[in-house]
Amino acid sequence: MAPPREAHPFSRGGCLGVSATPERTDRELLRRYHHDGDVEARERLIEQYLPLVRSLARRYSYRGEQLEDLVQVGCIGLIKAIDRFDVDRGVELTTYATPNIIGEIKRHFRDKGWSIRVPRGLQELNVKLSKLIEELTVQLERSPTIPELAKAASVEEEEVLEALETGQAYSTLSLSAPSSGDDNEDLDPLESLGELEPEYEVSEDRAVLAPGLRVLDERERKILHLRFYDGLTQSQIAQQVGISQMHVSRLIRRSLEKMRAEIATDTTDSELRAS
Amino acid sequence: MSDRIRLTFPRDESYHGVARLVVGGLAARLSFSFEYLEDLQLALDSLLANGAYQAGSDVTLELLVEEDGVEMCVGPVTPALRTDLERRLDESEGVGLGRLLATLVESVEIESRDGGEWLRLAKRTPSRGVAASA
Repeated sequence: MAPPREAHPFSRGGCLGVSATPERTDRELLRRYHHDGDVEARERLIEQYLPLVRSLARRYSYRGEQLEDLVQVGCIGLIKAIDRFDVDRGVELTTYATPNIIGEIKRHFRDKGWSIRVPRGLQELNVKLSKLIEELTVQLERSPTIPELAKAASVEEEEVLEALETGQAYSTLSLSAPSSGDDNEDLDPLESLGELEPEYEVSEDRAVLAPGLRVLDERERKILHLRFYDGLTQSQIAQQVGISQMHVSRLIRRSLEKMRAEIATDTTDSELRAS
Repeated sequence: MSDRIRLTFPRDESYHGVARLVVGGLAARLSFSFEYLEDLQLALDSLLANGAYQAGSDVTLELLVEEDGVEMCVGPVTPALRTDLERRLDESEGVGLGRLLATLVESVEIESRDGGEWLRLAKRTPSRGVAASA
Protein backbone atom coordinates (compact mmCIF):
# COMPACT_ATOMS: atom_id res chain seq x y z
CA MET A 1 0.00 0.00 0.00
CA ALA A 2 1.51 3.27 -1.05
CA PRO A 3 1.81 6.02 1.53
CA PRO A 4 -0.57 8.94 1.15
CA ARG A 5 0.50 11.38 -1.51
CA GLU A 6 2.16 14.49 -0.29
CA ALA A 7 1.62 17.71 -2.15
CA HIS A 8 3.98 18.00 -5.08
CA PRO A 9 6.01 21.19 -5.22
CA PHE A 10 4.18 22.08 -8.41
CA SER A 11 0.71 21.58 -7.08
CA ARG A 12 -1.23 24.70 -6.28
CA GLY A 13 -0.49 25.77 -2.75
CA GLY A 14 2.22 23.10 -2.62
CA CYS A 15 3.96 22.88 0.71
CA LEU A 16 7.60 22.89 -0.41
CA GLY A 17 8.63 21.71 2.98
CA VAL A 18 6.56 24.28 4.84
CA SER A 19 4.08 22.88 7.28
CA ALA A 20 0.53 24.04 7.91
CA THR A 21 -0.60 26.93 5.74
CA PRO A 22 2.16 27.64 3.26
CA GLU A 23 0.45 30.54 1.50
CA ARG A 24 0.14 32.41 4.77
CA THR A 25 3.70 31.58 5.76
CA ASP A 26 4.98 32.74 2.38
CA ARG A 27 2.96 35.90 2.59
CA GLU A 28 4.16 36.62 6.12
CA LEU A 29 7.77 36.13 5.10
CA LEU A 30 7.29 38.27 2.02
CA ARG A 31 5.73 41.03 4.13
CA ARG A 32 8.53 40.82 6.65
CA TYR A 33 11.05 41.18 3.86
CA HIS A 34 9.35 43.81 1.75
CA HIS A 35 7.84 45.95 4.52
CA ASP A 36 10.32 45.48 7.36
CA GLY A 37 13.50 44.78 5.39
CA ASP A 38 13.93 41.43 7.20
CA VAL A 39 16.73 39.77 5.21
CA GLU A 40 16.38 36.57 7.20
CA ALA A 41 12.81 36.19 5.91
CA ARG A 42 14.15 36.50 2.38
CA GLU A 43 16.71 33.79 3.02
CA ARG A 44 14.06 31.50 4.45
CA LEU A 45 11.91 31.99 1.37
CA ILE A 46 14.85 31.14 -0.89
CA GLU A 47 15.50 28.00 1.14
CA GLN A 48 11.84 26.98 0.99
CA TYR A 49 11.65 27.36 -2.75
CA LEU A 50 14.89 25.54 -3.53
CA PRO A 51 13.07 22.25 -4.26
CA LEU A 52 11.06 24.08 -6.93
CA VAL A 53 14.25 25.46 -8.49
CA ARG A 54 15.85 22.02 -8.36
CA SER A 55 12.86 20.34 -10.02
CA LEU A 56 12.79 22.89 -12.82
CA ALA A 57 16.56 22.76 -13.31
CA ARG A 58 16.51 18.97 -13.48
CA ARG A 59 14.36 19.13 -16.60
CA TYR A 60 16.93 21.12 -18.53
CA SER A 61 20.11 19.40 -17.40
CA TYR A 62 19.73 16.89 -20.23
CA ARG A 63 22.07 18.94 -22.41
CA GLY A 64 25.00 17.90 -20.32
CA GLU A 65 24.77 21.12 -18.42
CA GLN A 66 25.59 20.29 -14.83
CA LEU A 67 22.49 20.23 -12.69
CA GLU A 68 24.10 22.28 -9.93
CA ASP A 69 24.99 25.04 -12.42
CA LEU A 70 21.39 25.20 -13.56
CA VAL A 71 20.19 25.24 -9.94
CA GLN A 72 22.44 28.26 -9.34
CA VAL A 73 21.06 29.97 -12.44
CA GLY A 74 17.50 29.11 -11.38
CA CYS A 75 18.19 30.57 -7.94
CA ILE A 76 18.94 33.93 -9.54
CA GLY A 77 15.47 33.78 -11.09
CA LEU A 78 13.98 32.86 -7.73
CA ILE A 79 15.72 35.74 -5.93
CA LYS A 80 14.58 38.18 -8.61
CA ALA A 81 11.02 36.88 -8.19
CA ILE A 82 11.14 37.30 -4.42
CA ASP A 83 12.62 40.79 -4.71
CA ARG A 84 10.12 41.96 -7.31
CA PHE A 85 7.08 40.29 -5.79
CA ASP A 86 4.17 42.59 -5.09
CA VAL A 87 2.76 41.46 -1.75
CA ASP A 88 -0.48 43.34 -2.30
CA ARG A 89 -1.37 41.43 -5.44
CA GLY A 90 -3.38 38.27 -4.95
CA VAL A 91 -0.85 36.01 -6.67
CA GLU A 92 0.96 33.07 -5.09
CA LEU A 93 4.73 33.24 -5.03
CA THR A 94 4.91 29.81 -6.74
CA THR A 95 2.91 31.16 -9.69
CA TYR A 96 5.12 34.21 -9.95
CA ALA A 97 8.45 32.47 -9.32
CA THR A 98 8.07 29.54 -11.77
CA PRO A 99 8.22 31.59 -15.01
CA ASN A 100 11.00 33.71 -13.51
CA ILE A 101 13.13 30.66 -12.74
CA ILE A 102 12.50 29.14 -16.17
CA GLY A 103 13.16 32.51 -17.80
CA GLU A 104 16.55 32.70 -16.14
CA ILE A 105 17.42 29.17 -17.27
CA LYS A 106 16.33 29.98 -20.82
CA ARG A 107 18.41 33.13 -20.79
CA HIS A 108 21.38 31.12 -19.60
CA PHE A 109 21.05 28.70 -22.52
CA ARG A 110 20.59 31.59 -24.93
CA ASP A 111 23.66 33.42 -23.59
CA LYS A 112 25.74 30.29 -24.09
CA GLY A 113 24.54 30.12 -27.67
CA TRP A 114 22.72 26.86 -27.08
CA SER A 115 19.41 27.32 -28.75
CA ILE A 116 16.80 25.11 -27.20
CA ARG A 117 14.82 25.39 -30.39
CA VAL A 118 15.28 22.45 -32.70
CA PRO A 119 16.47 23.51 -36.17
CA ARG A 120 13.49 24.09 -38.40
CA GLY A 121 14.64 21.66 -41.07
CA LEU A 122 14.80 18.79 -38.58
CA GLN A 123 11.49 19.80 -37.00
CA GLU A 124 9.82 19.65 -40.39
CA LEU A 125 11.45 16.35 -41.26
CA ASN A 126 10.35 14.92 -37.92
CA VAL A 127 6.74 15.91 -38.62
CA LYS A 128 7.03 14.56 -42.16
CA LEU A 129 8.45 11.25 -40.89
CA SER A 130 5.63 10.89 -38.40
CA LYS A 131 3.14 11.03 -41.28
CA LEU A 132 5.25 8.77 -43.49
CA ILE A 133 5.48 6.12 -40.79
CA GLU A 134 1.67 6.06 -40.65
CA GLU A 135 1.29 5.88 -44.41
CA LEU A 136 3.99 3.28 -44.98
CA THR A 137 2.78 1.08 -42.10
CA VAL A 138 -0.62 0.88 -43.80
CA GLN A 139 0.85 0.50 -47.28
CA LEU A 140 3.45 -2.15 -46.41
CA GLU A 141 1.38 -3.78 -43.66
CA ARG A 142 4.43 -3.64 -41.43
CA SER A 143 6.66 -1.09 -39.78
CA PRO A 144 8.84 0.69 -42.39
CA THR A 145 12.65 0.51 -42.32
CA ILE A 146 14.96 3.50 -42.10
CA PRO A 147 16.00 3.19 -45.81
CA GLU A 148 12.33 3.07 -46.79
CA LEU A 149 11.61 6.18 -44.75
CA ALA A 150 14.63 7.96 -46.23
CA LYS A 151 13.50 7.13 -49.75
CA ALA A 152 9.93 8.23 -49.10
CA ALA A 153 11.12 11.51 -47.55
CA SER A 154 13.75 12.00 -50.29
CA VAL A 155 16.52 12.47 -47.75
CA GLU A 156 19.60 10.53 -46.65
CA GLU A 157 19.29 7.79 -44.02
CA GLU A 158 21.49 9.82 -41.68
CA GLU A 159 19.03 12.71 -41.88
CA VAL A 160 16.19 10.37 -40.93
CA LEU A 161 18.15 9.19 -37.89
CA GLU A 162 19.01 12.75 -36.92
CA ALA A 163 15.40 13.85 -37.21
CA LEU A 164 14.25 10.85 -35.14
CA GLU A 165 16.90 11.69 -32.56
CA THR A 166 15.52 15.24 -32.48
CA GLY A 167 12.21 13.67 -31.54
CA GLN A 168 13.88 11.89 -28.62
CA ALA A 169 15.40 15.12 -27.36
CA TYR A 170 12.00 16.68 -27.74
CA SER A 171 10.36 13.93 -25.73
CA THR A 172 12.75 14.63 -22.87
CA LEU A 173 12.13 18.34 -23.16
CA SER A 174 8.43 17.82 -23.39
CA LEU A 175 8.39 16.57 -19.84
CA SER A 176 7.45 20.11 -19.13
CA ALA A 177 4.77 20.33 -21.77
CA PRO A 178 1.16 19.47 -21.07
CA SER A 179 0.59 15.77 -21.65
CA SER A 180 -2.64 16.17 -23.52
CA GLY A 181 -2.90 17.56 -27.01
CA ASP A 182 -2.53 16.23 -30.47
CA ASP A 183 0.36 15.52 -32.78
CA ASN A 184 0.83 19.14 -33.59
CA GLU A 185 2.23 19.82 -30.18
CA ASP A 186 4.37 22.90 -29.98
CA LEU A 187 7.89 21.83 -30.81
CA ASP A 188 9.32 24.32 -28.37
CA PRO A 189 7.79 23.34 -25.05
CA LEU A 190 9.87 25.94 -23.24
CA GLU A 191 7.74 28.59 -24.83
CA SER A 192 4.65 27.21 -23.17
CA LEU A 193 6.16 27.04 -19.73
CA GLY A 194 5.33 29.21 -16.82
CA GLU A 195 1.99 27.70 -16.00
CA LEU A 196 1.40 25.09 -13.39
CA GLU A 197 0.97 21.67 -14.84
CA PRO A 198 -2.38 20.00 -14.49
CA GLU A 199 -0.88 16.50 -14.26
CA TYR A 200 0.89 17.45 -11.07
CA GLU A 201 -2.34 18.32 -9.37
CA VAL A 202 -2.96 15.85 -6.61
CA SER A 203 -6.28 14.15 -6.87
CA GLU A 204 -7.94 11.63 -4.62
CA ASP A 205 -7.64 8.67 -6.99
CA ARG A 206 -3.92 9.19 -7.47
CA ALA A 207 -3.28 9.22 -3.76
CA VAL A 208 -3.40 5.43 -3.67
CA LEU A 209 -1.14 4.93 -6.67
CA ALA A 210 2.44 3.86 -6.29
CA PRO A 211 5.28 6.36 -6.65
CA GLY A 212 5.83 7.13 -10.29
CA LEU A 213 2.45 6.06 -11.63
CA ARG A 214 0.67 8.84 -9.84
CA VAL A 215 2.39 11.51 -11.93
CA LEU A 216 0.91 10.01 -15.10
CA ASP A 217 -2.42 11.01 -16.50
CA GLU A 218 -5.02 8.45 -17.50
CA ARG A 219 -3.95 8.24 -21.13
CA GLU A 220 -0.29 7.79 -20.24
CA ARG A 221 -1.13 4.99 -17.81
CA LYS A 222 -3.32 3.35 -20.42
CA ILE A 223 -0.57 3.47 -23.04
CA LEU A 224 2.00 1.98 -20.65
CA HIS A 225 -0.47 -0.76 -19.75
CA LEU A 226 -1.14 -1.58 -23.41
CA ARG A 227 2.58 -1.67 -24.24
CA PHE A 228 4.10 -3.39 -21.23
CA TYR A 229 1.27 -5.53 -19.86
CA ASP A 230 -0.87 -6.31 -22.90
CA GLY A 231 2.18 -6.48 -25.20
CA LEU A 232 0.72 -4.35 -27.99
CA THR A 233 3.15 -2.76 -30.44
CA GLN A 234 3.40 1.00 -30.84
CA SER A 235 1.44 0.93 -34.09
CA GLN A 236 -1.31 -1.20 -32.53
CA ILE A 237 -1.55 1.26 -29.64
CA ALA A 238 -1.59 4.17 -32.10
CA GLN A 239 -4.59 2.62 -33.82
CA GLN A 240 -6.41 1.89 -30.59
CA VAL A 241 -5.83 5.28 -29.00
CA GLY A 242 -6.24 7.24 -32.24
CA ILE A 243 -2.90 9.05 -32.31
CA SER A 244 0.22 8.64 -34.45
CA GLN A 245 2.85 6.00 -33.73
CA MET A 246 5.47 8.65 -33.17
CA HIS A 247 3.22 10.30 -30.64
CA VAL A 248 2.83 6.95 -28.86
CA SER A 249 6.61 6.67 -28.83
CA ARG A 250 6.94 10.15 -27.33
CA LEU A 251 4.27 9.47 -24.72
CA ILE A 252 5.92 6.21 -23.64
CA ARG A 253 9.29 7.90 -23.24
CA ARG A 254 7.81 10.87 -21.47
CA SER A 255 5.82 8.65 -19.09
CA LEU A 256 8.89 6.59 -18.20
CA GLU A 257 10.94 9.75 -17.67
CA LYS A 258 8.25 11.24 -15.47
CA MET A 259 8.04 8.07 -13.40
CA ARG A 260 11.80 7.96 -12.99
CA ALA A 261 11.93 11.64 -11.98
CA GLU A 262 9.14 11.14 -9.47
CA ILE A 263 10.72 8.04 -7.96
CA ALA A 264 14.08 9.83 -7.73
CA THR A 265 12.41 12.78 -5.99
CA ASP A 266 10.65 10.43 -3.59
CA THR A 267 13.93 8.67 -2.81
CA THR A 268 15.70 11.98 -2.20
CA ASP A 269 12.86 13.17 0.03
CA SER A 270 12.96 9.91 2.04
CA GLU A 271 16.71 10.22 2.43
CA LEU A 272 16.38 13.80 3.60
CA ARG A 273 13.68 12.83 6.07
CA ALA A 274 15.79 9.96 7.37
CA SER A 275 18.88 12.12 7.88
CA MET B 1 31.97 -14.82 -36.49
CA SER B 2 29.39 -12.12 -35.97
CA ASP B 3 30.01 -8.47 -36.83
CA ARG B 4 30.69 -6.35 -33.79
CA ILE B 5 30.41 -2.62 -33.10
CA ARG B 6 31.87 -1.29 -29.86
CA LEU B 7 31.39 2.20 -28.47
CA THR B 8 32.77 3.52 -25.20
CA PHE B 9 31.44 6.83 -24.00
CA PRO B 10 31.39 8.95 -20.82
CA ARG B 11 28.54 8.36 -18.38
CA ASP B 12 27.32 11.92 -18.91
CA GLU B 13 23.74 11.97 -20.16
CA SER B 14 24.62 14.27 -23.05
CA TYR B 15 26.41 11.33 -24.72
CA HIS B 16 23.40 9.02 -24.60
CA GLY B 17 22.23 10.46 -27.92
CA VAL B 18 25.51 9.34 -29.51
CA ALA B 19 24.83 5.77 -28.40
CA ARG B 20 21.27 5.99 -29.75
CA LEU B 21 22.59 7.20 -33.10
CA VAL B 22 24.96 4.23 -33.31
CA VAL B 23 22.03 1.87 -32.75
CA GLY B 24 20.09 3.84 -35.36
CA GLY B 25 22.95 3.60 -37.83
CA LEU B 26 23.04 -0.15 -37.41
CA ALA B 27 19.27 -0.35 -37.88
CA ALA B 28 19.58 1.59 -41.12
CA ARG B 29 22.44 -0.60 -42.33
CA LEU B 30 20.52 -3.80 -41.60
CA SER B 31 17.10 -2.49 -42.68
CA PHE B 32 15.47 -3.02 -39.33
CA SER B 33 11.99 -1.63 -38.96
CA PHE B 34 11.25 1.62 -37.16
CA GLU B 35 9.48 -0.29 -34.40
CA TYR B 36 12.43 -2.64 -33.96
CA LEU B 37 14.77 0.35 -33.68
CA GLU B 38 12.42 2.01 -31.20
CA ASP B 39 12.52 -1.08 -28.98
CA LEU B 40 16.31 -1.29 -29.07
CA GLN B 41 16.73 2.41 -28.33
CA LEU B 42 14.17 2.39 -25.51
CA ALA B 43 15.88 -0.62 -23.93
CA LEU B 44 19.23 1.18 -24.17
CA ASP B 45 17.79 4.44 -22.79
CA SER B 46 16.23 2.61 -19.86
CA LEU B 47 19.53 0.97 -19.01
CA LEU B 48 21.47 4.20 -19.29
CA ALA B 49 18.88 6.05 -17.19
CA ASN B 50 19.11 3.33 -14.54
CA GLY B 51 22.58 4.54 -13.66
CA ALA B 52 23.75 1.11 -12.54
CA TYR B 53 27.24 1.51 -13.86
CA GLN B 54 30.53 1.14 -12.07
CA ALA B 55 31.30 4.46 -10.43
CA GLY B 56 33.87 6.50 -12.31
CA SER B 57 33.97 4.26 -15.35
CA ASP B 58 32.84 4.94 -18.88
CA VAL B 59 29.95 3.00 -20.35
CA THR B 60 30.61 0.54 -23.14
CA LEU B 61 27.97 -0.49 -25.63
CA GLU B 62 28.59 -3.53 -27.78
CA LEU B 63 26.37 -4.49 -30.64
CA LEU B 64 26.69 -7.94 -32.15
CA VAL B 65 25.02 -8.66 -35.44
CA GLU B 66 23.83 -12.26 -35.49
CA GLU B 67 22.05 -14.22 -38.20
CA ASP B 68 18.73 -14.02 -36.39
CA GLY B 69 18.99 -10.63 -34.72
CA VAL B 70 21.07 -8.32 -32.61
CA GLU B 71 22.71 -8.65 -29.24
CA MET B 72 23.34 -5.54 -27.21
CA CYS B 73 25.79 -5.58 -24.29
CA VAL B 74 26.00 -2.66 -21.89
CA GLY B 75 28.40 -2.36 -18.99
CA PRO B 76 30.12 -2.62 -16.72
CA VAL B 77 27.14 -2.58 -14.37
CA THR B 78 26.93 -2.83 -10.60
CA PRO B 79 25.24 -5.72 -8.75
CA ALA B 80 22.40 -3.27 -7.99
CA LEU B 81 21.15 -3.78 -11.52
CA ARG B 82 20.50 -7.44 -10.80
CA THR B 83 18.13 -6.44 -8.01
CA ASP B 84 16.37 -3.94 -10.26
CA LEU B 85 15.90 -6.56 -12.95
CA GLU B 86 14.50 -9.08 -10.52
CA ARG B 87 11.91 -6.64 -9.33
CA ARG B 88 9.18 -7.50 -11.77
CA LEU B 89 6.74 -4.96 -10.45
CA ASP B 90 3.10 -5.81 -10.74
CA GLU B 91 0.73 -3.61 -12.64
CA SER B 92 -0.33 -1.52 -9.67
CA GLU B 93 3.26 -0.50 -9.09
CA GLY B 94 4.21 0.58 -12.56
CA VAL B 95 6.79 -0.43 -15.11
CA GLY B 96 10.08 -1.58 -13.63
CA LEU B 97 13.23 -2.25 -15.61
CA GLY B 98 12.60 -6.01 -15.62
CA ARG B 99 9.11 -5.64 -17.03
CA LEU B 100 10.26 -3.10 -19.57
CA LEU B 101 13.14 -5.17 -20.94
CA ALA B 102 11.04 -8.33 -20.98
CA THR B 103 8.64 -6.53 -23.34
CA LEU B 104 11.29 -4.99 -25.56
CA VAL B 105 13.73 -7.87 -26.09
CA GLU B 106 13.69 -11.68 -26.06
CA SER B 107 16.40 -12.35 -23.53
CA VAL B 108 18.11 -10.49 -20.72
CA GLU B 109 21.24 -11.91 -19.08
CA ILE B 110 23.90 -10.66 -16.75
CA GLU B 111 27.34 -12.06 -17.50
CA SER B 112 30.70 -11.67 -15.79
CA ARG B 113 33.69 -10.81 -17.95
CA ASP B 114 36.57 -8.35 -18.24
CA GLY B 115 36.52 -7.98 -14.47
CA GLY B 116 32.97 -6.71 -14.35
CA GLU B 117 29.33 -7.57 -14.94
CA TRP B 118 27.64 -6.88 -18.25
CA LEU B 119 24.04 -6.88 -19.29
CA ARG B 120 23.37 -8.78 -22.50
CA LEU B 121 20.12 -8.22 -24.36
CA ALA B 122 19.12 -10.24 -27.39
CA LYS B 123 16.48 -9.21 -29.87
CA ARG B 124 15.48 -11.46 -32.73
CA THR B 125 14.49 -10.37 -36.20
CA PRO B 126 12.03 -12.63 -38.02
CA SER B 127 13.75 -11.74 -41.28
CA ARG B 128 15.83 -8.86 -42.57
CA GLY B 129 13.80 -5.92 -43.81
CA VAL B 130 10.63 -6.89 -42.09
CA ALA B 131 11.91 -6.87 -38.55
CA ALA B 132 8.89 -6.74 -36.34
CA SER B 133 8.51 -5.36 -32.89
CA ALA B 134 8.89 -7.75 -29.97
